[in-house]
Amino acid sequence: MTAATAPAGTDGRPRASAVPLPAAGRLLRLELRHSVMLGLLPLVVALFWYNGYREVMALPPMWNLRAMTLQNRLLLDLVIPATGAAAWMGSREGRRDMTDLLGVTARPRWSRQLATWAATTAWAEIGCLACIAVVYVMTARQASWGGPLWWPAVVSVAGVPPLTAIGFAAGARFPGRFVTPLITVATFFGFAFSTQAASGDHSYWQISPLTSGAFDIGAAPGVASFYRYLPDLSIAQVMFAIGLTAAVLGGLGLSAANGPRLRWLTALVTAVGLGAAGTAVTLAGTGRLDPHGMIVIPALHDAASGQPVRYTPRCSRTAIAVCVHPAYAGVLPAITAAVGPEVTEVAGLPGAPARLSQVPVAYQQGPGNSISISVASRSQSAFAVPDPIPGQPGMTSAEFAAQLAQTLGLRLMSDVILSGGDRAAELNPSQAQLAVIGGSVRFPPSVEERDLAPLFGHLLPVPGSPAARAARRFAVLTPAARHDWLAHHLAALRAGQITLAELP
Amino acid sequence: MNVEISDLTRRFGRHQAVDGVNLQAGPGVFGLLGPNGAGKTTLLRMMATVIPPTTGRLQLLGRDPGAYGTRREVRRRLGYLPQSLGYYPGFTVAEFVEYFALLKEMPPSRVPGAVATAIERVDLGGRARARLRTLSGGMLRRVGIAQAIVNEPELLLLDEPTAGLDPEQRVHFRALLRDLGQQATVVVSTHLVEDVGAACSQVALMDQGKIVFQGTPAELTARGTEHGTGDAPLERGYTAVLAAARS
Repeated sequence: MTAATAPAGTDGRPRASAVPLPAAGRLLRLELRHSVMLGLLPLVVALFWYNGYREVMALPPMWNLRAMTLQNRLLLDLVIPATGAAAWMGSREGRRDMTDLLGVTARPRWSRQLATWAATTAWAEIGCLACIAVVYVMTARQASWGGPLWWPAVVSVAGVPPLTAIGFAAGARFPGRFVTPLITVATFFGFAFSTQAASGDHSYWQISPLTSGAFDIGAAPGVASFYRYLPDLSIAQVMFAIGLTAAVLGGLGLSAANGPRLRWLTALVTAVGLGAAGTAVTLAGTGRLDPHGMIVIPALHDAASGQPVRYTPRCSRTAIAVCVHPAYAGVLPAITAAVGPEVTEVAGLPGAPARLSQVPVAYQQGPGNSISISVASRSQSAFAVPDPIPGQPGMTSAEFAAQLAQTLGLRLMSDVILSGGDRAAELNPSQAQLAVIGGSVRFPPSVEERDLAPLFGHLLPVPGSPAARAARRFAVLTPAARHDWLAHHLAALRAGQITLAELP
Repeated sequence: MNVEISDLTRRFGRHQAVDGVNLQAGPGVFGLLGPNGAGKTTLLRMMATVIPPTTGRLQLLGRDPGAYGTRREVRRRLGYLPQSLGYYPGFTVAEFVEYFALLKEMPPSRVPGAVATAIERVDLGGRARARLRTLSGGMLRRVGIAQAIVNEPELLLLDEPTAGLDPEQRVHFRALLRDLGQQATVVVSTHLVEDVGAACSQVALMDQGKIVFQGTPAELTARGTEHGTGDAPLERGYTAVLAAARS
C-alpha cells in the first residue's frame, strides 16, 4: 500500500508502503479507485439483467444459442455505461480546471490519459466478464451437451476497449458536460445501426462485434452443433476492435504529443491501428456462408476447423428410436410426443425405418439477407429438427409440434404407405393411400387448412372428398388398431388394390 | 541562477500581457508584486512552462524549456501552484499529492515518504485521508501547496498562495516559504505586500506587463518614504513605485 491508500494510523496520518509498485501501477491503482465506471457497475448489472440475461437464459440451454446471443446483447448493454463513463473520465481534466496544473508535470499527457482510460476499461471489462461468467456458469449447469463457446466471449471482451476509447477520446478532445451524453447516444445508435446494415455474407458490416453469425440466422440451434464453431469472423472482429482502439488512442496521443519520439510512437500506433481495422473490415467483406451456417473468411479459415463434431446421439425409447444430437436432448420429448402416434403405427411394418436420426440442416445464402435451409440428407431415416426450437423467439411448443407433424410425421407415413419417400408426388398415390396417410398423421389444432393446401392430392386427401371422409374414419382408430390393419393390408394398399370402401 | 529571463514577451491576440521582462533569480524567495492585470500570472505561467513566450529568452534551472527533452527535465524539478487550483473532489489529500508525485516522475520508492512529508509541511497530516470535497478553501490551498512541494522542487512557482489562508496559516506558510527558499528558488506572485515583506529576499514589481522595480523589500520600502500612500511602509513603497511608473 502507498501513503495514499494505506490505512491511517491512530493519528490519521498515512503510513509508508512496504513494497513499492512501479509508478504506472500506482497511477493505475489511483485511477481504478476513482473511476466513475466502478460506480456504474450496478447499472451494467441492471441493464444486463433486464435486457440481456433474461432473454439469453430464456433460450434453450444450448451453448451455441446462448453464447452467440450473449455476444449480441452484452455489448449493447455495455455501450451506454462504458462509453459514458469513459467520456466523463476523458473530460475530467478540462471540467475540473486541472489543465494548467497537470500540464506542467513531467509525465506525458498521453501516458496520464492512458492510465485513466485503462482504469475505466478495466472496470468495464470486469462487468463484461462477470456477465459472461454468470451466463456460462448457468449454461454449464443446464446444457445437455458441449462446452463453452469462447470466441463469442472473446469478441464481447474485445468489443469493450473501442467503446471506452471512443468515449474517452471524445471527452478529452471536447471536455464539456454535454459531450458525455452526446457521444454516448451517438455511439449507441452507431453500434445498433451496424447490426442492421449487414446485407448478405459478403457484407463489410459483419465486422460489428455485435454480429455473431450470418445476418438472417445468427444464433440458431443448427449452427455450431454438428460442426465446430468457426472463429473466422470472430478473429476479424477482434482484429478490428484492437485496431480501432489503437487508432483512437493513438490519435488522442498524437494530438497531445510534445516530443518527437512520442509523436512518432503515437503516429505509429495510429497507423498500425488503422491498418489492422481496415484489414479486418476488408476480410469481413470476403466472408461467405458455409453450409453449416457459419461465416467462412478464406484468408483466416483453417480447413481443419470445419470437421464434424463427434457425439453420441440421445435416443428415445419408442418403437422406432428417435435419435437426436445430444445438444437437442431437451427437445427430444417434444419430438417423440409430436410423432409418437405415427411411430407406433408404422413400427415394424415393411419399409419402416428401425430408427430416425437427426441430421444437420444445410444453409445457403440467397439474395440480400435471405438464407435457405434444407435437409442435408435424403435418407428415409434422416430428419431435421425444425429451426428455431421451442424457447427461441418466434417458436412455441405448438408450432414446433405442427412443424414436426408436417415434416417428420407426414414423411414417415408417406414413406411407409407409398414406399416412395420423396418421390411420392410422382407416384400418383391412390385415394385409399391418401386417406390412410391423412388419417394417420396428427396435425395440431394450430395447423390450418391453408397451411396444408400444397399437399392436397399429393400426400393428403383433398378436403371434402370421399378420401377425406375415409381419412376421418381411419383417424378414429387407435394407433395400435391402425398398425394391426396396416400389418395385414399394407402390401395391398401399396399395390393400389384397396378401395376407400375397404378402409376401416 | 535558476531563473534567467531576458526580453520576454507574451501576446494574447492584440493584448501584450508581458512586455520585455528581464529577470534573474537564484535560491531564495522572490516576490512578484503588482496590481491586477499587471502580467504576473502570465509571467508565472511562462516560467512554469504552461505557455511558451512569444519572444525572448527563458532559461530555467540552466536549461531552455523550449525543447521537449529539457522541458521535461525542468518539469521534474519544478513545483507550481496556479492561481485557480482545480482538484478532483473524490481524491483524498494523500491520493491527490501522490498523484502529482507520480506525474512528476518521482522514484516510486520515494513517493510515500515524500507525500507524507509534504502533507505534514502544510499542516494537513491529520486530514490525509479526508476527501478533497470535504475541505475548506484554505485547506484546499494548502493541498495545492503540498502537491507543488512534494517533489522537493528546485524551482517553486506559487501564484497567490496565501489566498484563502487564515492569519495563523499565513504565518505558518511564510515560515515554510523561508525554509523552502534556503535550497530552492521560490517565486511568489501576490498582491499582498505583507507576504513579500515577511518572506521574500528579493522583490519585483510589475505593471502593465513590465517590471518597474526590482530589488530587496527594504529598497522598495525606501521608495515610499516621501511619496507613497498606504498603511504599511512596504505599501507606501509599492504605491510610490507604481505612481512613478505611470507618470
